[in-house]
Amino acid sequence: MIIGNFRIELEPRLTSPKWLYAAVPAGSLVFAFIVGGVFLALTGHSPIGTYSSLISHGYTSTKGITNTLGLATPLICTGLAAAFAFRMNLFNIGEEGQMYLGMIGSAWAGIALAGHMPHVLAVLTVLIVGAAAGALWVLLPAVLRAKLGTSEIVSTLLLNYVALNLVNYFIFGSRGFFRDPTTSFPQGRGVEETARFHSFGNSNTYPTVIIAVLLAVALYWFMKRSNFGYETSVFADSPNTARYAGMNSTKLTLSVLLFSGALAGLAGAMYVVGPAGKVDPGLLQIGLGYAGIVVAALARYNFVAVVLTAILFAGLRVGGASLQISSNPVPIAIAVVLQGSVLLFALGGEIFRRNRLRIRRVQQVSVAS
Amino acid sequence: MNSNVWILTFADAISIATTLILATIGAILTERSGVINLGVEGILLMGAVTAFLVGDGTHNLWFALFMSILVGVAMAAVHAILTITLRANQIVAGLALVIFGTGLSQYVGKPVEGKSRPVTIQPMHLGKLSDIPIVGPILFGHDIFTYLTWVGALVCSLYLNRTRPGLVLRATGDAPATVDAQGVSVAMVRFVHTILGGALMGLAGGWFMLARGTAWSQAATTNGIGWIALSLVVFAAWRPLRAIAGAVLFGFTLQVPYTLQGQQINILPPEIVQMLPFVATLFVLVALSTPRARKLLGAPKMLGQPFVRDER
Repeated sequence: MIIGNFRIELEPRLTSPKWLYAAVPAGSLVFAFIVGGVFLALTGHSPIGTYSSLISHGYTSTKGITNTLGLATPLICTGLAAAFAFRMNLFNIGEEGQMYLGMIGSAWAGIALAGHMPHVLAVLTVLIVGAAAGALWVLLPAVLRAKLGTSEIVSTLLLNYVALNLVNYFIFGSRGFFRDPTTSFPQGRGVEETARFHSFGNSNTYPTVIIAVLLAVALYWFMKRSNFGYETSVFADSPNTARYAGMNSTKLTLSVLLFSGALAGLAGAMYVVGPAGKVDPGLLQIGLGYAGIVVAALARYNFVAVVLTAILFAGLRVGGASLQISSNPVPIAIAVVLQGSVLLFALGGEIFRRNRLRIRRVQQVSVAS
Repeated sequence: MNSNVWILTFADAISIATTLILATIGAILTERSGVINLGVEGILLMGAVTAFLVGDGTHNLWFALFMSILVGVAMAAVHAILTITLRANQIVAGLALVIFGTGLSQYVGKPVEGKSRPVTIQPMHLGKLSDIPIVGPILFGHDIFTYLTWVGALVCSLYLNRTRPGLVLRATGDAPATVDAQGVSVAMVRFVHTILGGALMGLAGGWFMLARGTAWSQAATTNGIGWIALSLVVFAAWRPLRAIAGAVLFGFTLQVPYTLQGQQINILPPEIVQMLPFVATLFVLVALSTPRARKLLGAPKMLGQPFVRDER
């Protein structure tokens, strides 16, 4: 591109310096806060005041950070789910629905199976059944993608709306298994006490946060060291190379998508063993599945970075919720605006990590006639 | 059962189809140039909330729709800059646009949430045509945009298949390197059509708000029809005229739940009926995935692939 006497060029970098890996997300965050600030100012809120309140309620107070870690727990799982699939260029955007199914499946296990089990076994069963339910929900798109090559993007997404109506049906539309039979108020039937974790102290953080973090580290290690991790990375870079090398792409596609669904299902299960204890339509309002995609993209599909990004995003959400309770309430949607902007800027910023920006003076060449 | 109800359902299906056709043609133009814009749902929401807010402030229908178009253009421009200029992943950029649009429409729409629509696009009465029994109310009781949209689909089809720029557009989606060799800027063709597509999506959102939506509500206004429009692109095999038929069909599945509810016909619980459009869409996608069907479809070959001259 030429502007005036200058030529602006992008020169591919062979290797990106380490600091850029952190600088691009950090810069995106700053720009996103500026965009959010513009909308705050336009709607009559003080950007500085809003942000400082958001930060104190989301991160720096004890209550804030424990609330944030509690919310981050399922978000880490949906983030891992998205990162796991997106790494292999499989765009599972159905984490939202898979998470709902995880909630339904784990609530079923918590009511039907957990009754006579010891505490640890009960929790474990509930988590596993939840993960299995999430995997089951992605089975159809996964098979279609692996066998027929149907784009998984739209099919996984359409199922989100089906899952959403399914939860509504269980709680509002029917008096079935999942509905609390003791009250006329539509709410979920509670799972057995043995199937629930107690939170740390009096906070909203549950031991599941430790499981989520360990899972992220384990995945990071597994994908770096195992044969499976190697095959998926080859497949992601060049499906043809993978095929010539004799790797089974059908099997890889199926297993990656199913495992991604299981991780998203686990998010719903962690919500059940933690704060909810039942099928809770409240989960439909938070959009943790969609946020997981943003978290994964911002973490550049690095599993350990997903943990940090999830905590950052959960804090925005928790801080955002607290802004609604004030004399001049700020809609909580500002948190989603910030999330969307961070991702947009991070995507744009990627090119500056991969390329070097060169601005050169153009020599004016006179054409001899 | 009252037969009038089903006449009204068909009429409503054709009416809802207006939004689907606009959004689908927008997506077709975008995808024909080789750019996939998954942000449709976000653009629809922003178009809808813009039409509501501007209509609320000015009570001027045309200005409200004009602003919806502008907002659609702005959002598509963000997508174009990210994916064409900065070569970001098109899938992720589109998703980011959905999340951004969902958040922003909810944020700016918060003060008017639940308020009923300020201005309304009135259906036309076409004299004797509208009075024909059955056919009249189904075909000739719509607003001007419904008919303009049909004409638009036809124009778009002619543009794609019968004009020079249309040929260049199709070539850009299938073989950008060839277009580049002809001395035409691939980036420019993609920019123009992504933004044109965004304008149509913005209008789709604005029209839906002022013609079909009763009150602004982020959760209920578009409710996933952006994604249905994206599936319709596949259903229509990237051809604008087929989008009309598909849109009416999908419009019908969108409308039936409300008809059943309104008539208190409880064959199925409402939550299950609400799944219908999405399950139907899924079935269509599956049916179109068979190797035979794929051959007939003819998706743009370089869909989703950034074009970089040096890497050719």
